[in-house]
Amino acid sequence: MSFWFWNGLRRGIQTTSYPKAMELEAGVSPGRPLATSFTSSADAERAAAQCPVGAIVVRDRLADVELGRCIHCQRCHFGARYPLDWNYDYEWTKASGGGHDFRPLPKPYRNSLHVIVVDAGDCGACLHEVKQLNNPLYNVHRLGIFFTPTPRAADVLLVVGPVSENMRVPLQKTYEAMPDPKRILAVGACAITGGVFGRTAMSAGGISSILPVDLEVPGDPPPPLAVLHGLLAVTGRKDLVVC
Amino acid sequence: MSGLIQGLLLLFFVACACGIVLSAAFRGKATLRIIAALSTVCSVALMLSSALALVSGEGPEARLWILNGFGSFTLQLDALSSIFLFICGLVYLPASLFVARYLAHLFHDRYPARRFGVLHFSLMGSVALVLVAHDAYSFLISWECMSILCYFLVNYEQNPSTDTRAGYIMLAMSEAGFLCIVLAFLIAGRTATDFSFPALAAAAVHLSRPALWGVFLLGFLGFGVKAGIVPVNFWLPRCYTAAPPAFVPILAGVTLNLGFYGILRLNVDLVPTHGWGTGLVALIVGSVTALVGILYATTENDMKTMLAHSSIENAGIIVAGIGASMIFRGSGFAVPAAIALTAALYHTANHSVYKTLLFQGTGEIEAATGTREMDRLGGLARFAPGLSAVFLVACLSISAVPPFNGFVSEWLTLQSLLRSAVLPSSFVKIVFALCGAMLALTAALAVTCFVKTYAMSFLGIKRGAWEPNSVKVFGRSHFSSVYLAVACLLLGVLPTFVVPVLNRAIEPITTASATASLVPPFFTATEANHQLPPAFLEDFHNLGAQTGSKIVPGRGLVLLVRGAEQNPVIFAMSPSYSIVALALLLLLTWFIVTRATRARIVARNELWAGGIPRLLPEMSYTATGFSNPVRVVFQAVFRPNIVEDTRETVAVHFRTAIVRRREEIHLVDRLFFHPIGDAVSWFARLLAGMHHGKLNAYIAYTLGFLLLILLLYRLT
Amino acid sequence: MTATRTKDAAVERLDWDALIADLQQRFQCDVAATDSGAIASAQINDISSLPALCRFLFWDVGCGFGGLIVEEGPQSWELRYIFLAHFSGWLEILVRLPLTTTSIPSISAEVHAADWHEREAEDLFGLQFEQHPRLGDFVLHDQFWGEGVAPFRKRFDITKVHANGQHNVSWRPLLVVRDPGAFAMPVGPVYEGGIGESVHFMLETVGEDVLRAVPRLFFNFRGVEKIAEGRNVAEALLLAERFAAKSSFAHSLAFCSSVERIGGANVPVRAKQLRILLSELERLRHHTGVITGICESTALAVSAAHAAMLEERLLRSSCAFTGHRYLFGLNTPGGLRRDFTEQQCHDLLDAVRKAEEQLRTLEDRLSFTSSFLDRLEEAGIVDLERARDLNLVGPVGRASGRGHDLRKECPYGLYDQYAFQVPREKQGDGYARLRVLFQEAYQSAHLIRQVIASLESGPVHELCQPTRGVALGWVEAPIGAALHWLRLDESGRVERYRIITPSFNNWLGFHVAVEDFAFQDFPIILATFGLSATECDR
Repeated sequence: MSFWFWNGLRRGIQTTSYPKAMELEAGVSPGRPLATSFTSSADAERAAAQCPVGAIVVRDRLADVELGRCIHCQRCHFGARYPLDWNYDYEWTKASGGGHDFRPLPKPYRNSLHVIVVDAGDCGACLHEVKQLNNPLYNVHRLGIFFTPTPRAADVLLVVGPVSENMRVPLQKTYEAMPDPKRILAVGACAITGGVFGRTAMSAGGISSILPVDLEVPGDPPPPLAVLHGLLAVTGRKDLVVC
Repeated sequence: MSGLIQGLLLLFFVACACGIVLSAAFRGKATLRIIAALSTVCSVALMLSSALALVSGEGPEARLWILNGFGSFTLQLDALSSIFLFICGLVYLPASLFVARYLAHLFHDRYPARRFGVLHFSLMGSVALVLVAHDAYSFLISWECMSILCYFLVNYEQNPSTDTRAGYIMLAMSEAGFLCIVLAFLIAGRTATDFSFPALAAAAVHLSRPALWGVFLLGFLGFGVKAGIVPVNFWLPRCYTAAPPAFVPILAGVTLNLGFYGILRLNVDLVPTHGWGTGLVALIVGSVTALVGILYATTENDMKTMLAHSSIENAGIIVAGIGASMIFRGSGFAVPAAIALTAALYHTANHSVYKTLLFQGTGEIEAATGTREMDRLGGLARFAPGLSAVFLVACLSISAVPPFNGFVSEWLTLQSLLRSAVLPSSFVKIVFALCGAMLALTAALAVTCFVKTYAMSFLGIKRGAWEPNSVKVFGRSHFSSVYLAVACLLLGVLPTFVVPVLNRAIEPITTASATASLVPPFFTATEANHQLPPAFLEDFHNLGAQTGSKIVPGRGLVLLVRGAEQNPVIFAMSPSYSIVALALLLLLTWFIVTRATRARIVARNELWAGGIPRLLPEMSYTATGFSNPVRVVFQAVFRPNIVEDTRETVAVHFRTAIVRRREEIHLVDRLFFHPIGDAVSWFARLLAGMHHGKLNAYIAYTLGFLLLILLLYRLT
Repeated sequence: MTATRTKDAAVERLDWDALIADLQQRFQCDVAATDSGAIASAQINDISSLPALCRFLFWDVGCGFGGLIVEEGPQSWELRYIFLAHFSGWLEILVRLPLTTTSIPSISAEVHAADWHEREAEDLFGLQFEQHPRLGDFVLHDQFWGEGVAPFRKRFDITKVHANGQHNVSWRPLLVVRDPGAFAMPVGPVYEGGIGESVHFMLETVGEDVLRAVPRLFFNFRGVEKIAEGRNVAEALLLAERFAAKSSFAHSLAFCSSVERIGGANVPVRAKQLRILLSELERLRHHTGVITGICESTALAVSAAHAAMLEERLLRSSCAFTGHRYLFGLNTPGGLRRDFTEQQCHDLLDAVRKAEEQLRTLEDRLSFTSSFLDRLEEAGIVDLERARDLNLVGPVGRASGRGHDLRKECPYGLYDQYAFQVPREKQGDGYARLRVLFQEAYQSAHLIRQVIASLESGPVHELCQPTRGVALGWVEAPIGAALHWLRLDESGRVERYRIITPSFNNWLGFHVAVEDFAFQDFPIILATFGLSATECDR
């Protein structure tokens, strides 16, 4: 049994140095499309037509990207006739802007944040990415972030999925069971805008129709570092993306 | 003084007689009022007379009448009788008030309360007679009256759902026990002048060893039937469960003590044995009884049955204490014997008080909700806060939690077992150690059992179909419950006052006083203990031994057990100090918490259950689930038979029901009565083979028997 | 309808023609080939002989049960019972009923695996199956949805929000254990174990062992099949990819293969090879994830950390290779959307080699950790008979002795040209399932090496413009066999899309096979099954 111990020591430290320094290893993030200028607005329109969910908005010759809608289908990237510029970063969190300003959690929560994760109809990708935060490569425990199974001890409600009808009431109950102060983090395109599922009789098309969302982490799925950025932004340790 | 005591006793008997007559004369609610009023008078008379007898040291004697050739029927109130009489009076008061209240609430005019009243007062009278009887005849006659009256009261409610067999079994066992007691007295009085207790005591010194053992075994088993020790206690759980709730508190709180009184009177006071053999038997039997009792109590879900098994457990502890005392006395160590006997008597008093309270509470619960199953209760505390508080006090007491009374007597019992270091024989010391371990295990299981009882019945969600409103009606706390709860607290907090009182009964028996060891006077400011070296006293003084002696009036607040004179080892326990300290700590905590959290917002929300729509009663922990680990660990004792384990399906792959039933045969039944029953049946079948109806054979039997008698006559 | 016979065949190749003859004569079926040619369709005229026919196929002949496809046609209901005659081909039993039919004989007494298919059909279409032991409260949870909603019928308007936000407070779970001291511990849907999918269990117990664990699924039900109706193929592909992300490539492959069958496309060789590469990469990563879950459930923290790191590295390698960690956006009808350079393939090969090495080391160490093995051995045993009865698929079924794998039985793509083994164990306990997972992971690595070594050059995409048609696409997803059945109308839009996932099959098997276990073993047994609730829920 001691071989586990020695083996662990031999492997050394594998954890990323984010947030102190940016993680640059290949494959940590699928990246995102950037706003791209085209030579003509007709080209920009054709570029926008490539997007199946309408995440590209054309302003004159600029094809701007509404990242909250992006589902990472990459149809504007690989093999596209009108490809958009691409950036392999992962700090994407923005305020939801749903009628209230975002205030980060007060200072005592900076190094001791408890998160409860609710799967409200998620496909499994966003949930899996959040789960990856516990592995030694990311290890959120060193940052004082913990995942708790009970909402009574949670500060942040992290929701993934477009809120299927059967999960609507459990999600609401979870939110109500949390004590103040609390914040809601919507992770993934499904949680923000409903993703490919949209707003139907079977799913609500995003959390904002049910709960007051504070921060949104776009992506389908957002990589673990993007979710980590979101969690750090809840307490103000990282800045939000302004758009 | 003696006249006053005699007068009070006379008042008691007169009041009993009045009670019998008046109960028979009136009907309906009036009867209940008579029961309440006259019982109060009787109980107070009993308590006063016994208290005065103890305090003054005089025991009045009354010679009733003298029968030629048999001797006199005398009654005397000596110290041992006074203690038991006081306990009896102490418990009878609330129990009778409970009877009156219970019958009034439930049965109104349709219940034959008149007959109940007659029986009630008769029983009270016969119990008192048993306790003050001073010769074998009056003792045995009043004992038999008491047994029969108990039977009538147990089988009082005759409706299809009651188990009348339980009453018959109790009667049969009582009669068998009575036979043993009669035989014991006969053996004891073989060489005595007459059958009065002093004569028996005088004759006891001349008894041969086998005769002493015979007296002990017969007396122990005979009185053990009433006391509830293994293996003669199998009537107890059945009987307590079947008895009407109005009567069970008296059955548990008063008549159980008569068994202990009998053992103490016959085997410890009148006919003590030399050596440690008999004491060892008592100790082992007591410990085993305690363990078996609590095991079955922990896994039982019917509250009354559980309390019955718990009574068996407590009886075991008391008998173990008595056994330890007998061993010490037989080996010549009088002081440890006195300590052990103090523990036993203290535990008797405590047990009466909290067991009566528990049974009263159970009666209230049954009246309010209609069920006694712990699996069907739950959430009662919200609807009946008064009952809940009082029941909690009783549960804490029986679990031996300070500052209540159970703690003092259990502590004393275990301490007295530890005194076994002074004994010479190592075999006895090993047995002491094992029995001590068994009693410690018993104490732990008792905590489990009563945590389960209180939590499953009073806390949590309502699991059964009963109406909360009826609980509110029955659930107020009443004088009788609060009285007993306060008695629990006082007996626990003021042991230093109780021990000298008990000592008055113990000193004549063991010829040593326990007071000096248990509550030594050196803690008081006025007296100095000259037996101890001054340096020792000085150390204790520096440690603060005098603390509180000037603040709190009366004797010192500490109850302690002292070792040998040369190198005294002190084990000390102070319930009074601990309750004061506890109160201070709680006050301090409350103060800090309220000040520190003044700015906090409190939000109330429903119970979190994982997001399901509603937390249903089926989803809460049941009593069976709680006690399952005990059942699994002690499987060898329980040996459950799985009677039914069916899996019903609608389709081959679709389950609709999994039904499991298990049956258990009690350990005592398995080991004693079923084999004995089988042996008796076998023998009876053998004998039945003789009855075949052939006349010639019968003539041959007669001839053979005649020859046998002639032969015997010839030989002797 | 030919098939190759391989060495580790668990079932003998049956006489296909004799089977067809039997169907025609004994059961009066009209047998024909379907449009796509991949399935033989036997239409049954007398509905009352349906249970007997299914019993004949499942038990006497030994076919596997694929699933039930319900379609509301313009004039009639069309029910298709899909059976797989191992190594011979697919067979569908077609039942046409008028739209006014109120009840259909249930086959769940004969084929137990059909139990949930029929319950789903009842909830979503309103069809009543006679003598089914339990209908209702399956997909549409009773406390939120009313009765008679039938959301998959044509008349249901999915854009309108179903006005039932209140929940029914008189809902009670169906409890099975009858004992005065019995109680049921509720677990979930907001899972008490930390980060997990939304599943709800009622663990019924009398205080010692858990006698029964009843799962309540479909908390993640998003109605993917219904949403897809009316969408064109490119949009429906997005749905196929994204309803279950951990097997995303496999499901998108099944969808694409059914579209290709309808359109008659000829997928280039390089595309087929790359598809195998990506499928096996996904399988390798998925199995590593399940192994991580098993190590976590037994609380062997160091091994869980190692496995989790391994999985993260595979995710990163996937992203570096394809641009997406979960392989979204690669498949398209007619091939792949993008190509890969040689350097990228070499990097991937490197990464896979390292991963396989580390997996082997992990397996070796785990097999020496007796405390770990103690918890897995004899936990959640499913014997071969039970596995057959419940139609368990995938690694779970193979751990119990069922050696079926669609890559061998109905080879798709180019699987018949590569050498690989299908591992099989007999014990059916947790340790057997773990061993199967490891072995399959190694076989996936082996396949990836073979593909990269033999990669041909050429295009990766051929245009595929499907119009009206119906086809079945199948794939061996990491969890087991998955079927995607598709009907397109003349403009190439989806008319009916039916997804039968392996998790759907195996969840039924899980709750029936697991009875009488110690409460502490519950998370371990759940982890060894490696099931996905969201794949089942769609």
